[in-house]
Amino acid sequence: MAFAMRMNFVDVVVSDSLKHYYVDGKRMGYQFDIRLSYYRGHFLSVIDEFGVKVDGFEVPVERIKFCINGKEFSPVEFDKCYTEFWQVIEPATIRVFYPGGLPEGEHQIDVTLMFHSPYMPIGPDHQYMPVDSCGSKTLAITD
Amino acid sequence: MANIKTGITLFSLGTPYLKGELDLEGVIRTAAEMGAEGYEIVASQMIPSYPYVSDEFIAFINKCRDKYGIGPTCYAANMDRGMLRDRDLTEDEMVARAITDIISANRLGCTVMREQYLLSPNGLKRIAPYAEAYNVKVGIEIHNPDSPITQPILDYVKVIEETGSKYIGFVPDFGCFATAPNKPYWDRALAAGAPLEALEQMAQLRYDEVPQEEAMKTMMPTLQKYPVLFSTLSSMYGFVQFRKSCKAELEGLKRIIPYCFEMHGKFHYVDENLHEPAIPYEEIIPVVASTDYDGYIVSEFEDEGGYPAVEQVTRHVAMVKKLLAECK
Repeated sequence: MAFAMRMNFVDVVVSDSLKHYYVDGKRMGYQFDIRLSYYRGHFLSVIDEFGVKVDGFEVPVERIKFCINGKEFSPVEFDKCYTEFWQVIEPATIRVFYPGGLPEGEHQIDVTLMFHSPYMPIGPDHQYMPVDSCGSKTLAITD
Repeated sequence: MANIKTGITLFSLGTPYLKGELDLEGVIRTAAEMGAEGYEIVASQMIPSYPYVSDEFIAFINKCRDKYGIGPTCYAANMDRGMLRDRDLTEDEMVARAITDIISANRLGCTVMREQYLLSPNGLKRIAPYAEAYNVKVGIEIHNPDSPITQPILDYVKVIEETGSKYIGFVPDFGCFATAPNKPYWDRALAAGAPLEALEQMAQLRYDEVPQEEAMKTMMPTLQKYPVLFSTLSSMYGFVQFRKSCKAELEGLKRIIPYCFEMHGKFHYVDENLHEPAIPYEEIIPVVASTDYDGYIVSEFEDEGGYPAVEQVTRHVAMVKKLLAECK
């Protein structure tokens, strides 16, 4: 993998954050929280790559909602979210549509999140410092 | 005669803030306890309604001023030229963002705003009327590898002098006067097993102003043996450059003093004898004190070495105050 800056203050995947969410009284899926691995917040439009694996399986992107500021975004919309600011100390909640939910017990969460630092050009033609905000953790599902 | 106040950029307490050890009120309280007379706030780091300033946030800042006796003096803006996925912002878009920041700075009661160099000299010129109307002096940060005598900075000087505006200028960062290698980077390389002689050889190449590509070539066998040295060497040619003497740069600083609205007392480490090994404060402070500079020197701790932030900033404020006292 090419060079990317890493600035780690806290874990990306927040401990004890995995739980189910319910719609109309039905278990509609699960969610967990992530933090941005940087010293300041960013507009979502700087995110270049986003993906979630659970227990080794890639979650289809259309099942994912990325929730900040009381709103829910799909990863395919990030490039249009240039007015949506993710505060550096506020976790984002990742919701995955998965009716019935996850089995009880522990699950391996792997998040891929690459962004570019928009004030650090590293060359001409829209090249900016790549930053690695990926994270992994094993979390027990708590309802 | 200079009228210098000592402040702190809250960025210096970024590590405890991001880890949740201090909330924003705790950060402001700690800055006051460390002797700051005012503070700079990095808007994209600590303002919850960024890029706007909400009424609730103003009320919070005023409450903190009443409790701890200090308030924000400088709004540190970012110029996120690359914030879109597929293209750079246009100058119009950057000017629009800078105006939003000026409005936010004014709402917070800041009379100084730090802007970044991706806003071009012409962009800076375009925001001057807004800076004046909102009573916010906008200074382009002069950050290593630039200095008061490098061409990009001289291009701003030209525009500032052409407009004659008192509201556009600079925020010099003392890191641009570095005369020795950055200590945390150096120590990190040593800790990772790099030999001292290799580091010294690299530093000498830098002192001799050998171009980066040539330095890479010279060091290649060593770099391959100790890959950690790649980042050390590129930092020496990146944002923590240094040279034998900063006399010419300090002369350049004197020349632009009328346009300086705040100064960043950048540091990576201050030892117990109140000395920064890479940035020659003993030379810089007397020069600033000898001018008519009227404003803050804010302590800006870059946490690269994992040293405790509160102890480091406390030392830095003490160092600046001691050096200022010696100039009287």
